[in-house]
Amino acid sequence: MNRSLSWAAAALPFLMGASALLHITPTVVLKAQADVIRETVPGAAQYFAKTVKIGRDDLTRLRTSADFTPEDPDVKFYYGTGADGAVRGVVLFPQVNTQHGPLEVGLTMAPDGTVQNVIVTKATVETKPWVLEALRSGFTRSFAGMRFGDDPTRALAGVDRKALGPMPYYLAEVTTEAVKRGLAFYGILYAAQGQP
Amino acid sequence: MNGLYSLRRADPSVRLGTVLFLLLLGYSYVFAFLMVRHWAGLTPSTVSSVYVPSPQLEESHMEMHSQSTTQPLDFSSLAHAQHQVDTDLLIQDSHIHIMIYAIVAGLETLIILGLEWGRAWRNIVITAAFVSGGLDFAGQWLMKAGIGGFAWLTILSGWTMATVYLAVLAGTLVALWPRHRTQERTA
Repeated sequence: MNRSLSWAAAALPFLMGASALLHITPTVVLKAQADVIRETVPGAAQYFAKTVKIGRDDLTRLRTSADFTPEDPDVKFYYGTGADGAVRGVVLFPQVNTQHGPLEVGLTMAPDGTVQNVIVTKATVETKPWVLEALRSGFTRSFAGMRFGDDPTRALAGVDRKALGPMPYYLAEVTTEAVKRGLAFYGILYAAQGQP
Repeated sequence: MNGLYSLRRADPSVRLGTVLFLLLLGYSYVFAFLMVRHWAGLTPSTVSSVYVPSPQLEESHMEMHSQSTTQPLDFSSLAHAQHQVDTDLLIQDSHIHIMIYAIVAGLETLIILGLEWGRAWRNIVITAAFVSGGLDFAGQWLMKAGIGGFAWLTILSGWTMATVYLAVLAGTLVALWPRHRTQERTA
């Protein structure tokens, strides 16, 4: 019996260690892409997906204007057209990968080329509370009306960093970086081609 | 006596702890199954799509000008954003999971040593307990290296882990079954 108890006693720290070590942060969808498209481009007679394979000349422009190199060679734009064939809005989902996991933004552009809506669509279990806190500050509304070439960091001007806290503010900055990349994608890969 | 000790003759507290450990482990496996089904799927094609890297931007293979294609949008294709395990996450997962697999296999081994199984069967199950954990992540890393065909290795390893668990649970319950123990005392 003593031997059996010894085995049980030896196993206990392993069990405690196993439970303490578990630390996995899977991604969480805050808003489905399909819902963002339907809600921010409502009433379209038809929706389309346009996939742009980035060329070397546009890659240079992206690096110059937004100071980043995309990881994926393809960028997708989703747009809806009315009965008259006119584009009602364009949605894209730029993503920024951080050490805390990916953050994806749903960026809706109005037909006049200005930002209509910004919403965070994907975060991680770890970052979700900070993202939600940042969103509650309402800073994403400040992106409205911006266009390619504008400085998206202006949206952070009205955010009180101390009141919001360091991590929510960091996630607000990551969101702003995603918007910056999205504007560059839109301006260089979509609007510059002058067609849906 | 086959093995290191006899679980059926062990102190009641040891037997109680063993059964509760196995039941709680099974409880966690139910959620592990649901998590795998949700994030990775249960078929080789869905599992490999989680691990095999997406095409990366390689300048040497790029055209000079951007090319575009347009298709009517199928909303159902957006219903489930594909979960991807990148290299950083796989390193983190490997570090945690392989360690826990080793701990669980070690604890299962402690139980197996008390089940009075024949040596050959005992060694087969112990080996399967440890090797399945290693092969699970070997499959994941091979997929990450771009060899999607190794999804079957990860799937097979998962089912092997479950089989080992069920064998140990069944062996424990049989060994500790009151009627079985009463017969032994009578004999």
